[in-house]
Amino acid sequence: MADLLREIEAQISGAKASATKQNVGVIREIADGVARVEGLGDAMLNEMLDLGHGITGLALDLDETEVGVIILGDYTRLEEGDEVRATGKLLQVPVGKGLLGRVVNTLGEPVDGKGPVKSDVAYPVEKIAPGIIRRRPVSQPVQTGIMPIDAMIPIGRGQRELIIGDRSTGKTTICLDTILSQARLNKAAEAAGDRDYRPLYCIYVAIGQKQSNIARILTILEEAGAMPYTIIVASSASDSAANQYLAPFAGAAMGEWFMENGMDALIIYDDLSKHAVAYRQVSLVLKRPSGREAYPGDVFYLHSRLLERAARLGEQYGNGSLTAMPIIETQAGDVSAYIPTNVISITDGQIYLETDLFYQGVRPAISVGLSVSRVGSAAQLKAMKQVAGQLKGDLAQFRELAAFAQFGSELDAKTQAKIDRGKRIVEIFKQPQYSPIPVEVQVVVIWVAQNGYMDDVPIDRVKEYQTRLTEFLTTVKDELLRKIAKERELSPALTKELKALAEQFKESWK
Amino acid sequence: MKTTKKIRREGKQLFRLCIVNGLLDESRTSEVVKRVIESNRRGHLALLSMFQRWVRLNLAEHTAEVETAAPLPADLRATLQARLENLYGPGTNIQFADRPSLIGGMRVKVGSDVYDGSVQSELAELEKSF
Repeated sequence: MADLLREIEAQISGAKASATKQNVGVIREIADGVARVEGLGDAMLNEMLDLGHGITGLALDLDETEVGVIILGDYTRLEEGDEVRATGKLLQVPVGKGLLGRVVNTLGEPVDGKGPVKSDVAYPVEKIAPGIIRRRPVSQPVQTGIMPIDAMIPIGRGQRELIIGDRSTGKTTICLDTILSQARLNKAAEAAGDRDYRPLYCIYVAIGQKQSNIARILTILEEAGAMPYTIIVASSASDSAANQYLAPFAGAAMGEWFMENGMDALIIYDDLSKHAVAYRQVSLVLKRPSGREAYPGDVFYLHSRLLERAARLGEQYGNGSLTAMPIIETQAGDVSAYIPTNVISITDGQIYLETDLFYQGVRPAISVGLSVSRVGSAAQLKAMKQVAGQLKGDLAQFRELAAFAQFGSELDAKTQAKIDRGKRIVEIFKQPQYSPIPVEVQVVVIWVAQNGYMDDVPIDRVKEYQTRLTEFLTTVKDELLRKIAKERELSPALTKELKALAEQFKESWK
Repeated sequence: MKTTKKIRREGKQLFRLCIVNGLLDESRTSEVVKRVIESNRRGHLALLSMFQRWVRLNLAEHTAEVETAAPLPADLRATLQARLENLYGPGTNIQFADRPSLIGGMRVKVGSDVYDGSVQSELAELEKSF
């Protein structure tokens, strides 16, 4: 015991007390998740602040005498006069593969009750996007498993493709289908031991959504076995506007980790309309000047700096990519509103979903005329390009002729044939939700339709024909599908095999 | 009472008039307050409140609050005063106070800078680390 006492005494005498310099301030005013703090003379923009009670704040407005702070947590526990400490750190979130399969909040804290997140790396939430030197053009496809998209509006890795449409038109479903398709492809490549395949990890950012919706999405992904490749960043409608404003940036930081470590990731922002609304609320409470529709002047920069972070990096920079699929909800189909036009101009294309099509039973309700992919065609599979190259034009022509034919006039045989073919293509593009189709199956189905093998199938039986053809392909002609997936283009020999397949199937079709 | 941009700007201008060689001049400050009250112009109370805020912040920047668990000996006070004047410039007003809740050590606050070497803060840090 005497030794122990001597040891403690020796340690006390050897200990040196040091005082660290801290930068502090005092809350002068607090309301609606935003505090004005007096002091904090050395605070940096976007610096994390310790507000006590385990609550973190973010310095967003640096004025001459005070700092505007958004509070990320329960601000009702804070009071005027409370001390605020600067941490010297920019707002950062944990990143890495440890987050896969988890549901986290804006700060990267788990909200799924599965214990702490395993991560020893953190990335800043706000980061400057990769410059032009580090980038390379988009050249690898993102297989969404949705036939009209993969055929006519292809998306490449590193692209920013907007999903736009009214409420309840299937915007989130398209994104979920894409996640499910990636999970299927990732699993297949793992099972086959394919080392050349680059898995695509997905990050789903829910902004201002109902908790029940987020729970439903989580269930769908869990049931389909997609969660091991997915991160969900949840900032629900019950979260503060500050949390909702920061959620997509936190998700982007998580995606950047994959990109900068030579991997591919896909990030879905669901949705940026609610994000703009949350940012407007934060800005108005911070007393920033408002502009059109009361949005602050930098709402364009808010979305452009977020979406610019999606990129495909060059070989010498790891060859990683971050693909972005932002969602915008329009009001009564108005794409010319402020936020939709902003995001349309920032992205590399958009998939426009129409309410009318949705209620006509065309699901996914993609408007072929208004949807476009500006860079994705360079990434499209060559086999798909061979079969679907003319499809967009043909469908546009079909719509024009179909509108003309409504007047009941007699049509010549050629026009009638075009209309009939168009109707069949519209039918094969109908697809139930959460059932992505492998790209090689898509190629065969479109080839069969384009080469007239479906022309004598009644329109109400086209879907049945397609289902049975798919079954025939996956059970009897599995080898052909593997060849298409391997060769990636339709050689004359493969075309010959396709012809034989179509004829063989036709014989069995009744 | 709403503080308009104009009042904010004028309050700052008045405050600047009271700065002589980088330090707040007490006589000028009193003179400004007296003149504004005498003018009795519209919004003069809001203006004075804005002016008072600037003065308060300036005083806080030039005031060092030294808190210790036990009273400091005179020689240590003198050394501390010299060191603080060296850091924050001459004219720094130093106020000493006893705060037994610190347990031991010292806490110095100058404007928004805090040097905390108290046992209380060390214990709080230790608690956080657990």
